[in-house]
Amino acid sequence: MARGIGRREFIRNIGVSTAMLPLVMNLSSLRGDDPPKRKRRLVILFSPNGVVPQTFWPDEEGDTFTLKESLEPLAPFRERSLILHGLCDKVKGDGDQHMRGIGCLLTGIELYPGNVLCGCSEHPAGWSRGRSIDQELKHFLQSQPETRTRFGSLEFGVMVAERADTWTRMIYAGPNKPVTPINDPYQMFAKLYGRMKHKESLASVLDGLRHELQSVASAVSADDRRLLEEHATIIRETENQLREMKTEAAAAPAPVVEPGVKQQDVDMPRLSKMQIDLIVNSFMADFTRVATLQYNYSASDATMPWLGIEGRHHDISHSPDTDEKAHKNLTKIDRWYCEQVAYLARRLADTPEPGGGGSLLDNTLIVWTNELGKGNSHTHENIPFVLIGGGLDFRMGRSIKYPALPHNRLLLSLAHGMGHRIDRFGNPDYCGDGVLPGLSG
Amino acid sequence: MNIQRRTSNLHPRIAQRFRSGVFVCAGRMLLALTLCALSSSSLFLSLAIADQTTGERIYRERCATCHGQHGEGAPDGYPEPISGGRSLAQLAGLIGKTMPQDSSEKCSGPDAEVVAAYIHETFLSDSKQSHRSPRIELTRLTVNQYRHTIAELLASLRHPARWNDNRGLLGYYNAIDEKGDGKRVLERLDSQIKFAFGPTSPVPDKMDPKVFSISWVGSVLAPETGEYEFIVRTENSVRLYVNDRLRPRIDAWIKSGDEKEYRATVRLLGGRVYPLTLHFTKQGQGGKKPDQPNAPIPPASIELAWKMPGRLEETIPQSRLSSIETPETLVVEAAFPPDDRSTGFERGTSITKEWDQATTDAAIEVADYIRGRLRDFAAVPELSAEHAPGVREFCARFVERAFRRPLSPQQRAVYVDAPFASTPDLETAIDRVVLMALKSPWFLYHEIKGESAKEFNTASRLAFVLWDAPPDAELLAAAATGKLATTEDVSAQARRMLADPQCDAKLREFFMHWMKLDQARGLNKEAAAFPEFDAAVAADLRTSLELFLEELIRSQSADFRQLFLSDVLYLNGRLSRLYGVELPADAPFQRISMNASDRAGILSHPYLMATFADTTSSSPIRRGVFLARGVLGRTLRPPPNAFVPLPPALHPDLNTRERVALQTKADACISCHGLINPLGFSLERYDAIGRIRGEDNHRPIDASGFYRSRAGDDVRFNGARELAAFLAGSEETHAAFVEKLFYYCVQQPIRAFGPKAHEDLRESFVRQDFNIRKLLEEIATRAALVDRDQEPLTSPVKGT
Repeated sequence: MARGIGRREFIRNIGVSTAMLPLVMNLSSLRGDDPPKRKRRLVILFSPNGVVPQTFWPDEEGDTFTLKESLEPLAPFRERSLILHGLCDKVKGDGDQHMRGIGCLLTGIELYPGNVLCGCSEHPAGWSRGRSIDQELKHFLQSQPETRTRFGSLEFGVMVAERADTWTRMIYAGPNKPVTPINDPYQMFAKLYGRMKHKESLASVLDGLRHELQSVASAVSADDRRLLEEHATIIRETENQLREMKTEAAAAPAPVVEPGVKQQDVDMPRLSKMQIDLIVNSFMADFTRVATLQYNYSASDATMPWLGIEGRHHDISHSPDTDEKAHKNLTKIDRWYCEQVAYLARRLADTPEPGGGGSLLDNTLIVWTNELGKGNSHTHENIPFVLIGGGLDFRMGRSIKYPALPHNRLLLSLAHGMGHRIDRFGNPDYCGDGVLPGLSG
Repeated sequence: MNIQRRTSNLHPRIAQRFRSGVFVCAGRMLLALTLCALSSSSLFLSLAIADQTTGERIYRERCATCHGQHGEGAPDGYPEPISGGRSLAQLAGLIGKTMPQDSSEKCSGPDAEVVAAYIHETFLSDSKQSHRSPRIELTRLTVNQYRHTIAELLASLRHPARWNDNRGLLGYYNAIDEKGDGKRVLERLDSQIKFAFGPTSPVPDKMDPKVFSISWVGSVLAPETGEYEFIVRTENSVRLYVNDRLRPRIDAWIKSGDEKEYRATVRLLGGRVYPLTLHFTKQGQGGKKPDQPNAPIPPASIELAWKMPGRLEETIPQSRLSSIETPETLVVEAAFPPDDRSTGFERGTSITKEWDQATTDAAIEVADYIRGRLRDFAAVPELSAEHAPGVREFCARFVERAFRRPLSPQQRAVYVDAPFASTPDLETAIDRVVLMALKSPWFLYHEIKGESAKEFNTASRLAFVLWDAPPDAELLAAAATGKLATTEDVSAQARRMLADPQCDAKLREFFMHWMKLDQARGLNKEAAAFPEFDAAVAADLRTSLELFLEELIRSQSADFRQLFLSDVLYLNGRLSRLYGVELPADAPFQRISMNASDRAGILSHPYLMATFADTTSSSPIRRGVFLARGVLGRTLRPPPNAFVPLPPALHPDLNTRERVALQTKADACISCHGLINPLGFSLERYDAIGRIRGEDNHRPIDASGFYRSRAGDDVRFNGARELAAFLAGSEETHAAFVEKLFYYCVQQPIRAFGPKAHEDLRESFVRQDFNIRKLLEEIATRAALVDRDQEPLTSPVKGT
């Protein structure tokens, strides 16, 4: 930069507020000279109420395995998938299986006692005692300039109930600090692109304002005119700078969002697609390296009429193993969620990494999980963890069956994969020998 | 007290001007350097001819850097215009002795005489002074005014409630049945929220002690601007909403862990009222109600407390709560650069890039806020084409309120129609209207010359002077119906507005500013010397001072003289023993009449005494500076160097008074300290925390002092009580107070309102028995009725 003005100062001089900085800084022409290191991204998807094990888990171990009905949509990404069987959420304590299922899933630590009453005999519980892994990683990434992004993390939701309690919250910024996911894609859009829109609006009014200042200036005394002239000069400078920025901003355009989609069960497929598109765009613009997408909530009673299913998900998930129809429907539901995961994988695979280096999927790991191993038993054994993508350097294209290892160790593996080398996460009792064996090998 | 008349040979008109400011020695360190460099031009000294040309040359070379080419003052030097009524000989003497600062020898003898002659002739003769009288400048809203204006603008579009006398919050008490449904069984006004229900029910015959809920609804008044920490203590579930009906500030509806105390910080603007709702429940959440008939009943309790800016935590007092319901207020968060304070008061006289950026950020905040609550504002159910006319009407109302006057057809075209024509998207159109209006000169500047809507200007002036906020609905209505034309009309509105909490807030801010307490947070004393003085005592002292001021301002007589003469001190249990009164340890604040010989209003108030003191000893200098500058309105230049008070240990045999005298005895010091020290010495009976003492360093206190008035009278006094009597009766004090209050509220120099404005106001202050509120009423009325759309009488004298 001329005369040794720092980049940040330059940005400031051209009249972009600090909140815009990361956005602008990510535009390639404003970047410094160092080639950026490979980005690592993590996106965690949650679907509730357990799975049907028979139609979900591959029978085989190793790199030769068959995707069964529920996971079939992942077939195009088979070589880039890692299916982890045998991980267990061993966290006990207050709260029922659903509450602990979702509340300890990403935190790996107990819930506090509280006043959220359980249907069953367990003790009422409150919020989690610890931070969730995505927030831990956000904190880590934001602490370093080279991985810092405008948001650090983004929390998406699809039809998460409009109530805050232990069953509806998976993300925790810290003990007793649940984070509300954003259900509304329009709200998320405004969060991501609102400022850009505001800049356009600003650009559209500046010309008129300058004229107003001029006409007012002609009516005041010479001494007062000086102030108004200074004011008009600043407006003119801003105008010119916004014009220059417009050319730059064309590099990372905002996505087109389908209008008028309502928050209702029947629109879940459209909401899901919109949210996934925004995740992909956020990665493209490097708004964040960490994202979560929570479908519904634990014990969700969502209806899924587009699958031809009557009844509510949670009710159906309680059906005994002998109820074939119910399990057929549950498999359909699992498969539908898998299709969403596959859509995300597809979008990421089809989007080139900005600045080169393969596709977004090459630099992103998708983790799809659930709070229960199986709906009708409410077990915390064999919690589903399906991983896709090359973001964390795990060796993909495998089905691994662990001997009932605590899921905290996967959370540790995710941290290490993102470059955050911690020994413990959540309850240290479940961190055993550290990261899961064999993920990268 | 002993008044000795020394000189009174001044021309009466000059004597009058003494009160509006005095020619004072002033300059700055860096100036001295410039002048040293210039001293090589000593050629002029030898050629000194006592004529105008030489005087002018000397002035330009040695004086103008600080005082301006035309005596108007310079921002980096001495900011005030040269003025005052010294005789030529007095002026020459003064210049010879003190000017230029720190190298006064550079201008003495004949030089001083010729330059004095030049100054006297050019700047100080009657006609010249009036020619140079400051004008009413075009100013933009200060940052404080900006925030208040946005708050009022949005509130006005939602029909705010007026603060009334209905103190406390309305409590709705609900019983909860087996199905978990609530039923209201009691409604009452609770003066404050602090209840320990224990295992019992607040309404025993109607509410099950095991499970019940209460909602408290109303508003909270923020007496001053700043960060308020709200604190809720309970072992049960709560949600607290403050100034945001959508998101709770505290959400502990889900009880989790053993937390029993919840805190949230909210930024509030002083003098405004904010909606507050507190929901409380003893009910469990989510699942079924456990059926354990014989289990012990858990206790219930709740307290709603706050921590005002810089104050200690307290249960929110009844005086700050009301059962009225009022809409939310938007407190803009955009980071504005601070306003220019170089003239001693905040003024909106500069436009910078940072400020412009902040106005954009703030406008975006407002646009986002409005779009998020459009149903509330525009009364349309949704943003669709069929509701476009309603949205546009709302936007026109918004711009009109923002401009504080009716829109001209042309303004409507520019500010409403054009943005709507620029985009088919209604949300975007709203954004553009808001951005355009809030970045417009009609919004950002107080007023623009040549506007036709005269009475709307009057309304705006009145509102900004009294509230730092734009006119409310009533004032705008008065302007629209021609009821702001006469002095009587304007006075009547001013009287109404004086009763509003916004005016209390402004007066409170003025006093804090006047006493230099607005920037003084955190008062520390050396623990070894004052073990009893801690943060709690410091905060209590501030409260004590505020209670005193509040009583004075709100009293019927609002008598300025009582600031000095009152023997009242507000004390609570904690302070009482420290300041020699016996109260129970937990006694709340109460009004105590002290021994009149011990206490004299603010002069001896322990908070001021402790603030104007060092960590171990009193500071006659800081006290004297406050009295000279703040109370008597004298202008003092800053010391040529930063000095540290002489450490007592260096002179173990001296007391504070003697150390101060020793340190300031040099000629360079005494020109100011001759004024400062004897004023400060009169308060030597008060130690570094404002306690009364009989001796200092084992020697009896000498609290004798004196003051040489502008008219040359020597006044002698001993101790605070005699000082108070002098100050309360001194015209200089009255004139200084009038000017300071005027400048603080109007943010324009008093002389810009006519050569007699200051004296008129002072005389009326006397006639009105020194009633501060009446003075403010008169200031506001006067300022509101002087039109801005006239050229200054003449331009400043141009160089020859």
